[in-house]
Amino acid sequence: MTKKIFRSILLAVIVVLLLSFSVVTLLLYSHFSNVSTTQLSDELSLVVQGVEASGEEYLNEVNSKNYRVTWVDADGTVLFDTEADNTSMDNHKDREEIFEALTTGRGESERYSDTLTLKMIYRAEKLSDGTVLRISASQDSVIALLLDVLFPMIVIMVLSIILSSFLARWLSKSIVRPLNTLDLENPADNDVYDELTPMLAKINKQHKQISKQMKELRRKADEFEQITASMNEGLVLLDRSGLIISMNLAARKLFNADETSIGQDFLTVDRSLKMSHGVEAALNGKHSEFREQRGSSEYQFGISSIESGGKTIGAVIICFDISETAFAERNRQEFTANVSHELKTPLQSIIGSAELLENGLVKPEDTSRFVSNIRKEATRLVSLINDIIRLSQLDENVESAKEETDLYVLANEVKDVLSLSAQKKNIEINVSGESCKIKGVRRYLYEIIYNLCDNAIRYNNEGGRVDIDVRKNKSGIVLSVSDNGIGIPLEHQSRIFERFYRVDKSHSKETGGTGLGLSIVKHAVTYHDGIIKLDSTVGKGTTVTITF
Amino acid sequence: MRGRFDEQLALLNKKMIEMGAMCENIIALSAKALLEGDVDGAKRVASIDDDIDHMEREIEAICLKLLLQQQPVARDLRQISAALKMITDMERIGDQAEDIAEIITFLQGRTGEECHDIREMAEATIRMVTDSIDAYVKQDLSLARSVAEHDDIVDNCFDSVKSNLITMITENTEDGEYAIDLLMIAKYFERIGDHAVNIAEWVEFSVTGVHKGE
Repeated sequence: MTKKIFRSILLAVIVVLLLSFSVVTLLLYSHFSNVSTTQLSDELSLVVQGVEASGEEYLNEVNSKNYRVTWVDADGTVLFDTEADNTSMDNHKDREEIFEALTTGRGESERYSDTLTLKMIYRAEKLSDGTVLRISASQDSVIALLLDVLFPMIVIMVLSIILSSFLARWLSKSIVRPLNTLDLENPADNDVYDELTPMLAKINKQHKQISKQMKELRRKADEFEQITASMNEGLVLLDRSGLIISMNLAARKLFNADETSIGQDFLTVDRSLKMSHGVEAALNGKHSEFREQRGSSEYQFGISSIESGGKTIGAVIICFDISETAFAERNRQEFTANVSHELKTPLQSIIGSAELLENGLVKPEDTSRFVSNIRKEATRLVSLINDIIRLSQLDENVESAKEETDLYVLANEVKDVLSLSAQKKNIEINVSGESCKIKGVRRYLYEIIYNLCDNAIRYNNEGGRVDIDVRKNKSGIVLSVSDNGIGIPLEHQSRIFERFYRVDKSHSKETGGTGLGLSIVKHAVTYHDGIIKLDSTVGKGTTVTITF
Repeated sequence: MRGRFDEQLALLNKKMIEMGAMCENIIALSAKALLEGDVDGAKRVASIDDDIDHMEREIEAICLKLLLQQQPVARDLRQISAALKMITDMERIGDQAEDIAEIITFLQGRTGEECHDIREMAEATIRMVTDSIDAYVKQDLSLARSVAEHDDIVDNCFDSVKSNLITMITENTEDGEYAIDLLMIAKYFERIGDHAVNIAEWVEFSVTGVHKGE
């Protein structure tokens, strides 16, 4: 803009200067021509007077470089010439100015002289004796005069152009300066040219509009971020070419990515084959789901395409941590397999014995052994089914009536019930502590103590001991059952509360038990909001502590 | 012009990562087949190697096209030439993983548990391959340099596997063939480690312009 203004100013100055210069030149030219013709006429009348007075002598004395004087006789013969030899010159009778002078007394003309090839101005006058005096001057003299004036004029013009260019620069800068220093952040605060006011007002309005929209956008983005950040599921948005648009906190953690990953290809974050196939399928509009291990957890990934106006514009990846679900699923499958196995074994044995009896293949003296075998297996089945029923009741979380129950009393009850089986292994049961009342389901609490105690006896050595202790302390009511039996190896400790989990894999009948006892204990304790702690050393014994 | 060039470079980058993922996959499958004595799993490895070979051709074509049509300079040129070198190493990794899988089919379900250094070796090698690909993906110099350090672990493992197998042969001569097979597998793992180091060095070259091997 500065340049344009500068150029316009300069151009205007030059045009005006040139115009005035040409006008002045023209005026000067005509002025000088006038002056020279007047001079010529004056000179002629001087010469005429001289010649009238003293004839050719006068002419010989005339010695002018500016003029050429020719004296022509009435018949046109040249009598005298200041510059050429008169004898060699043509008859001048038909020359325009001489002819005119001969007829009217005075003559004038302008033409190119053949002899000197210059534009010449002629003036002629008839003398009293009929001869004609002619004086001539070249145009040259006018132009020379003009040139003399012209040179300083050109210098002046160049100087004024230079000066005006400086001026134009300064002017254009000072015109543009306020525009450059406009405060566009606050358009309304500017006080410059009036012509700019509507534009500034418009900018101001748009400014406000933009900042409002930006605020709104930022708020929405924040909202989205807040919502997705607090999600446990990983969420990744991809654009049409598979570049990451956004990733929430969980996804960043899962894929070990950071801020710099945004805008990169998703491959740079995760390059598992299943994932890249899934993403590719999603970008082609197909939904896919798969499970894959990531680190120590198992994840389920769902990849779907984002569609808008019938076109796929991106993809979204959702990642669920399904470690727990997968674990529970595995447990359930194992449980079903275990239940069927556990139920089948005694039944097989019953069927076998029954078939033998039916076919009369059993000697009469052995019959009672077979029958008692059938009864034993049937009892085992019943106790197993009872355990399963109890467990499923606990599973269903059926609200049973809670009542004030004294754990100490319960412990003594259990001791009485189990004393028979304890005696068989020569095991001593001790109950210590104080009376502690707890609000709970009596049957479940009984189940807890019974099963723990039963295990303590079952997995004990001959002549061992079992201690039940009930007391109140700072953290609540603490029930502990400890024995000095065979103990549980460390690698099994985390799993013994699972259903049918046995340290002894052979599911041996030697020790009996259904494999559900501790599972029931765990459920019952959870039901009463208690905490179980297991402390066991192989060969030294086990202590189970429950805090309500 | 530049837009198209960038597009092609991005495609090259994407294909490189895909090929890297394939390498990780094939070596993980081979190692798994070895440690679980899974002969059927080992047989599946061959098809992945075919994919890797195919991918090598594809990337080669992209690189040559870029070199000829765009005449890249400086960093772009380094990236493309490094890619050309890296794919040969990746292709070798694929071949050697396939070789391991082939030997596994002769082991008749034995898992090399007699010398557990081989397990450690397999894990270290997988880690190296993963790290070198990661270094490429993230253009991470320090990670690329750490790959070379890991190679020492693999080399040490190889030495201990070797001495392990020597004692195994002297003590139990019938198992000679089995021991030799295991030695071959260990050697292949060791070679894969070396290729991973090569890849890491080319990553370093493409970032800094200086190749360590020089």
